[in-house]
Amino acid sequence: MQPDQNQSRQQRSILCIEDEHFISELYERSLKKAGYNVTVISDGEEALRAAQANSYDIILLDLMIPNLTGIEILRILRDPTRLPPISSKIIIITNLEQRQDVRADIEKQADGYLVKAELTPHELVDFVNTIK
Amino acid sequence: MNYLQKLIRQAKLDLFVIVLINNVILIAGWIIFRQLLNWNVVYTAIILGVVAILEAAFISLSLTSYLMQPLTAMWQAVLHLSPSAASTQAPKAQDLSFGKDLVSDLLSHIYQFINVAEKVDTENKQKAKDLSNNFVAQNLPIPFFVLDSSETIKYANKAAAKYLGMNAIDLLDKSIYVVLDMAFPSEDTFDSWLKNAKSSSATAGNTWERVKLEARDNHPMYLFDLAAYYNRDNTDHNETMLLLFDHTKAYSQDEQAVSFVALGVHELRSPLTLLRGYIEVFEEELEGKLDPELEGFMEKMHAQVEQLMSFVNNILNVARIDDDQMELKLEEIAWSEILDPTIDALRIRAKVRGITLETRIDEKLPTVAVDSLSIQEVINNLVDNAIKYSGKSTVIKVDAHLTKDNMVETTVQDYGVGIATALIPNLFTKFYRDHHNRSQIGGTGLGLYLSKSIVKANGGNLWVRSKEDQGSVFGFTVQPYSSLNIKSSKDRQELIKGAHGWIKNHSLYRQ
Repeated sequence: MQPDQNQSRQQRSILCIEDEHFISELYERSLKKAGYNVTVISDGEEALRAAQANSYDIILLDLMIPNLTGIEILRILRDPTRLPPISSKIIIITNLEQRQDVRADIEKQADGYLVKAELTPHELVDFVNTIK
Repeated sequence: MNYLQKLIRQAKLDLFVIVLINNVILIAGWIIFRQLLNWNVVYTAIILGVVAILEAAFISLSLTSYLMQPLTAMWQAVLHLSPSAASTQAPKAQDLSFGKDLVSDLLSHIYQFINVAEKVDTENKQKAKDLSNNFVAQNLPIPFFVLDSSETIKYANKAAAKYLGMNAIDLLDKSIYVVLDMAFPSEDTFDSWLKNAKSSSATAGNTWERVKLEARDNHPMYLFDLAAYYNRDNTDHNETMLLLFDHTKAYSQDEQAVSFVALGVHELRSPLTLLRGYIEVFEEELEGKLDPELEGFMEKMHAQVEQLMSFVNNILNVARIDDDQMELKLEEIAWSEILDPTIDALRIRAKVRGITLETRIDEKLPTVAVDSLSIQEVINNLVDNAIKYSGKSTVIKVDAHLTKDNMVETTVQDYGVGIATALIPNLFTKFYRDHHNRSQIGGTGLGLYLSKSIVKANGGNLWVRSKEDQGSVFGFTVQPYSSLNIKSSKDRQELIKGAHGWIKNHSLYRQ
């Protein structure tokens, strides 16, 4: 295998908040291969602290995680009264089936909304690459 | 007899007599002082001048109170009837020496007006009282509000007071928007509806689902359905009625997305995510390293996972359509941008059955207005069916072209087992499957039902032509973007449609 071509430019950091280990393992593998610096956290509260303490470029956020739900984390991170604001782009990754209006509400606050089953790890990387 | 004319005539006569008497007195005085008493001119003039002044003072004083009697009486009457000066005594028309008839007549008119006004007032009060004494309104186990034209609460029943944790009396005369700070799921809100109803209709009714009331000190968060009725011409000025149907429990559960289908879909999606992921990893890492047999197994595994994925999406979409939860976002896009990648993704499924997909897309097709996600499911289902029913034939043809009525039509043709004419009408029924083939060919019988619903919702039509043992052609149309009645860029964002019709922006329709 060739060493990654993206290594030379500054690595973008990704926080992957996902409690299904098999899935995060796959995502981590693909994202690292694409040159991203990946941190995986499976606990809601821990993930929120990490998201607030570090300036990740992108946060992949699962909705069903223990201790704090993804929706709660999203609300806290996107709270307009919070200073300073979090600059991370937040992409929801979920297999939950939401009511249309609930989903629209979440989509409004996030920078992307993906159904995990509808894309392969490779396609996830392609999507993340489009996030500037 | 006109009382006013009579009064004027009497006033003229009275004035004439008084002035005449006055003059007679002066002339008589002159004659007495000059002729009989032989007073000189100067004394006589001085005495008569004093007499004239005294007379004028006396006459003006007495005449004024005499002539002003009718006005005074009317003034008393008006003050007497006015709520702010009700202590004023009522005038006694019978005691008047001037204008008695006119005043009596006018007073009777004034009292009539007041009676009418009082009657209306009493009736209104009675009506409001009726509502609070009304058994149905008062004891209706559903929160019920009545508003006047300024959207002020004029009546709230017991259930309303209990729901809001307040006394019914404290709700009265408050603005409904202060008492009920409602949040609606869309822009179709109660206040926008009422505003529109007031400007355009005499009566109107509407209902809203999933209205939210945030928690306050005296009540928790509520979710309810709202029904409202408006009537502009209601005589008691109570124009609007509101009924609240509480669904807090049911809707809160829905918000957690735990419907049975949603749960099932979630459980299926997790292993599917992993299977698709692992297959992709294997395909990348093992490319060229497997013998043809294992390569074939890998492709078949891939095809089966994709098949399962389609199935899950079908189940989900049928549940959405049945629940009226399917929302389509129509967007402008080149048809090939949808058709090509969808067909490409299906090639692996065709390949493992030894079938080639041949695609031909007319280059001159206009852009279309479709909901990409759902229309891909249609292509998926039709090609998937064609693969299943291809029998021994090895080609499926997909063709996209413009019809005579300017619709973009896509046909999927197979050369397989075909469908008996008698069975065609049943094809689009939910769970219908051709019983001849049921044992050999897998499927849920949802695909065509779903495809037809989706195509219709996208504004097109789906049809089939088939001959047994010769194959079938399934065709569907989608609308060119230019045929939509788009007025502004705002409309563009609101091109959202439900499976059972437009759900937003009713100004959008096919021309």
